[in-house]
Amino acid sequence: MSEFDVAVIGAGPAGSSAAIRLAQNGMNVLLVERGDPPGTKNVSGAVLWGNELAKVVPDWERSAPVERYVTRKEVAFLTEKSKIAISFSSEELQNSKSGKIIVRGKFDQWLAKKAKDAGAMLVTGVTVDRLAIDNGKVIGIQQDNDVITADAVVVAEGANPRVLINSGLRPKLSDRDVALGIKETIKLPENVINERFNVDSKSGFASEFVLGFLDDGLLSGGFLYTNKDTVSLGIVASLDRLRANGVTHSYDIMGKFEEHPFIKNLIKDGIPDEYAAHLVPEGGISSMPKLYGNGYLVAGDAAAFTFSNGMVLQGINYAITSGILAADTIIENRNNINENTLAKYVDKLRESYVLSDLYNFNGIQNVTWSDFVQKSLPTLAESVMMSLFDEKGMPKKHLRQIVTDAMKSGHMKYSDLITNGYRVIKRM
Amino acid sequence: MKIEEKLSLLNYKTDKSYAHITINPDICSTCPDHFCVFACPANCYTLINGKLNFKYEDCVECGTCDIACSHGSVKWTLPKGDNGVIYKYG
Ligand SMILES: Cc1cc2nc3c(=O)[nH]c(=O)nc-3n(C[C@H](O)[C@H](O)[C@H](O)COP(=O)(O)OP(=O)(O)OC[C@H]3O[C@@H](n4cnc5c(N)ncnc54)[C@H](O)[C@@H]3O)c2cc1C
Ligand code: SF4
Ligand code: SF4
Repeated sequence: MSEFDVAVIGAGPAGSSAAIRLAQNGMNVLLVERGDPPGTKNVSGAVLWGNELAKVVPDWERSAPVERYVTRKEVAFLTEKSKIAISFSSEELQNSKSGKIIVRGKFDQWLAKKAKDAGAMLVTGVTVDRLAIDNGKVIGIQQDNDVITADAVVVAEGANPRVLINSGLRPKLSDRDVALGIKETIKLPENVINERFNVDSKSGFASEFVLGFLDDGLLSGGFLYTNKDTVSLGIVASLDRLRANGVTHSYDIMGKFEEHPFIKNLIKDGIPDEYAAHLVPEGGISSMPKLYGNGYLVAGDAAAFTFSNGMVLQGINYAITSGILAADTIIENRNNINENTLAKYVDKLRESYVLSDLYNFNGIQNVTWSDFVQKSLPTLAESVMMSLFDEKGMPKKHLRQIVTDAMKSGHMKYSDLITNGYRVIKRM
Repeated sequence: MKIEEKLSLLNYKTDKSYAHITINPDICSTCPDHFCVFACPANCYTLINGKLNFKYEDCVECGTCDIACSHGSVKWTLPKGDNGVIYKYG
């Protein structure tokens, strides 16, 4: 007899959602988290996209610590001197409350408490070293020489999967598997945020940035989200491009982003309150570990269920859904946990948006992280816009001529524009 | 704002008895790229007179240096228990 039906490693969105679902179904659950309280080790933007949360906490609106709802979403391309943005506001987006801006320090603590309320045993301040494996079967979790036994283990340890690596269940990560995320939280009075971002106290602004202005082959995406009385500002930088660059410090990329004239204005007079860094899975299906085995399942970032390509950044929603599906697989097979029964987890993931999204968007990072999208396209657009809008008291040229001139000055051919443009559209 | 000032905003519970990351100075002394120095977002790896200096106290536990070092010098573990960085916002 095991001490627990299920042990869950990590009280992030994946682990806590799994624990809630399991406990709600009468399972005896242990939820182990190294941060004390939960959330103190985590870093995220963070916008929680979608309404997956309702599946584990139906009345989340009454108690979830939401800073603001996304009512205006932007994707912006930054060149050295310009910003070219696509801005989207919609009453529908406003009503569906699809984007919730959260602070993980508060949110994770709240969600872990929901697991505890549902009946899971929450243990904080404990770092799991590895899975306890006996005869090829996972029988629990291990710290130093202490083993706690469980019939099944949900591994939800996040983007730096030490437990899986230590247990020999996945290889070490490489440059292509992850990117480095750096984030700063900056204090600004609520009324200043409202005015500056043209929002009211409940509504919020979320923007992703393509940082094509960075020199020397660096590739990076940026983000800015408005909380209640702070702003979350950050970058996600590609490690292999940083390695190829060989002279720039990762934190200098963050510095350059902050110093960009259009960003500087947005955080003016703000008081920096926290600096943080974390890995972001970005390898998609090619860096996915085996998602199940005899006695264990892997959910959330530990399974590489994140999207990060410099234009979108999503993972909390996949974490919650995969946590729930891991729990459901265990619940349905509670009396017969083995490799074959747990394999049904993958079917569930395939039927859901989690694996469909990952397969559908497979390889998109090669496009969105490409020089074409990061540099050529924004520079071309900048040049065209300048010709159109910078009034010099001269007769305007025909638009086609303007584009052709801009392409010439950017050493770009029509054929490149068409083939690259096609690749982008095909991948979107 | 300098990186040192940014790091000074952070709270830590430092484990004085256990360095969760260690390096092998012999390997580092012949390192051709020192990518750890450029990759670490918390400036834990610095070059002082051409010699690699590593301090674990400022580490934010991101895991980047373990990937960055392709020469097998870094021995990477998580801090024990609830030691290490404590984020307010995260
Ligand atoms: C800078 C940045 C910005 C992002 N922005 C967004 C965004 O805006 N929207 C979005 O949807 N996603 C965003 N993401 C991605 C998102 O944060 C992740 O996809 C999500 O947090 C994954 O959830 P998880 O539960 O799988 O892992 P995590 O949230 O990382 O949780 C893992 C938990 O396990 C604990 N743990 C780890 N190892 C152990 C161990 N050995 N023993 C005990 N406990 C352990 C950790 O302390 C942690 O609490 C961002 C990520 C970064 C880094
Ligand atoms: S830790 Fe690795 S990358 Fe850094 S100096 Fe030593 S050998 Fe080189
Ligand atoms: S884990 Fe991250 S913060 Fe810590 S030393 Fe390595 S790179 Fe630096």
